[in-house]
Amino acid sequence: MIRRALLVAAREGRADRRQPDGLVAAATFVAALVLLESVVVGPQVARASSVAPALYWIALLFAAIVIAMRSFERELEDDAIDAVLALPGGRDALYAGKLIALLGTLAVVAVGGGVLEIALLDLDIALPGHLLLAAALGVVALPAVVILDVALTLRLRARAALVPVLALPVLVPQLVAATNATALALEGDPSGSLAWSGLLLAIALVYAVLGLTIVPTAIE
Amino acid sequence: MPVMQSTAAIARAGAPVPSARLDGAVVALGDRVILRGVAIEVLPGITVLRGPNGSGKTTALRALAGLVPLLRGSVDVAGDLLYLGHRPQLVHGLTARENLAFFAAFRERRADVGVPLRSWGLGADADRPVEQLSAGQRRRAALARIESERCDILLLDEPFAELDDEAVARLQRALRDSAGGGAAVLIASHGHADLDRDARRVYLMHDGEVQG
Repeated sequence: MIRRALLVAAREGRADRRQPDGLVAAATFVAALVLLESVVVGPQVARASSVAPALYWIALLFAAIVIAMRSFERELEDDAIDAVLALPGGRDALYAGKLIALLGTLAVVAVGGGVLEIALLDLDIALPGHLLLAAALGVVALPAVVILDVALTLRLRARAALVPVLALPVLVPQLVAATNATALALEGDPSGSLAWSGLLLAIALVYAVLGLTIVPTAIE
Repeated sequence: MPVMQSTAAIARAGAPVPSARLDGAVVALGDRVILRGVAIEVLPGITVLRGPNGSGKTTALRALAGLVPLLRGSVDVAGDLLYLGHRPQLVHGLTARENLAFFAAFRERRADVGVPLRSWGLGADADRPVEQLSAGQRRRAALARIESERCDILLLDEPFAELDDEAVARLQRALRDSAGGGAAVLIASHGHADLDRDARRVYLMHDGEVQG
């Protein structure tokens, strides 16, 4: 299954390089939000450890939805998805491969957005290692749910509206955990940051297993 | 003369007999029933599924490929199955070669996909993203999967659509070769009556039911 999932992820990466519209849209969205943040709330408030991480993770969540939806739209053009679903083990591989691919693309957006936010707001980082861990696990925790929701709403005309409506409530724990893990890393609370990071890891595993269980039978 | 191998001959040769069966299949889309207890058997050789638009041919093929859930009935497939729908099913952003290489790698086939692509007339265009190809070229690239993946069971939905005369003849050759090699081929088509000559069985569908 891993080999097939990696094949799907590699195919996704290749198509993304030729048609990077999902990545560009997501990166633009994150950059715009980071830029607007300091303009709207002022640099002092924007630098607060409770504000900057929250806006950052909200931006990344929407970026993940944009990238995932574009990825599945590509599958629907010319009914490409049917060819994968009809392959032996295609359904599992499609979910896992899309998850891996989203993880990679989201990591690029996360690094770019993070660097921009740190530089623009001149953020003080008390625990850089913990911040990196929180950011990595936050990125890992998002794709499982986003891909699950996009896959389940694939054949619905209203999927553009339904995906955020379905995904956002489910993603509240991830957003809270990622925001707290990041904020505490900025403030210098190692045990608090690690505790929230652990929760992020647990959530990522639970939803990855849930997705692998649900999607292969539910996707049409 | 029908193009087929007897199942007994294949079994004697020690190879498993590829087959795909729908038995009493009922499929509904919302409150509309698309298939009403359809039974179809696809054995080595060419089987043709005929019927007017909206008769349920595509849904029957999709049910055999496991792409639509059955309300009732069963689907039983023995062998590697290749389903080619009435659209090319190629991912935009990738070249024809990359698309075919993906499918071949997925099935762990080690064939050089360049050979079938060239034989389908895509030698020069095999490395262009598929969205830059014409509809006919995309269709030919999709049909090249028959030779790059060499599956036991082929389910083809209106495979002659968008093909010029040369490509139609090429496809007919490919189908006869596959069937002659022991593959079970099911073709849904409402044209190309000459296919029936080569078929071991012709099913006629109307309003979600097999009528003959």
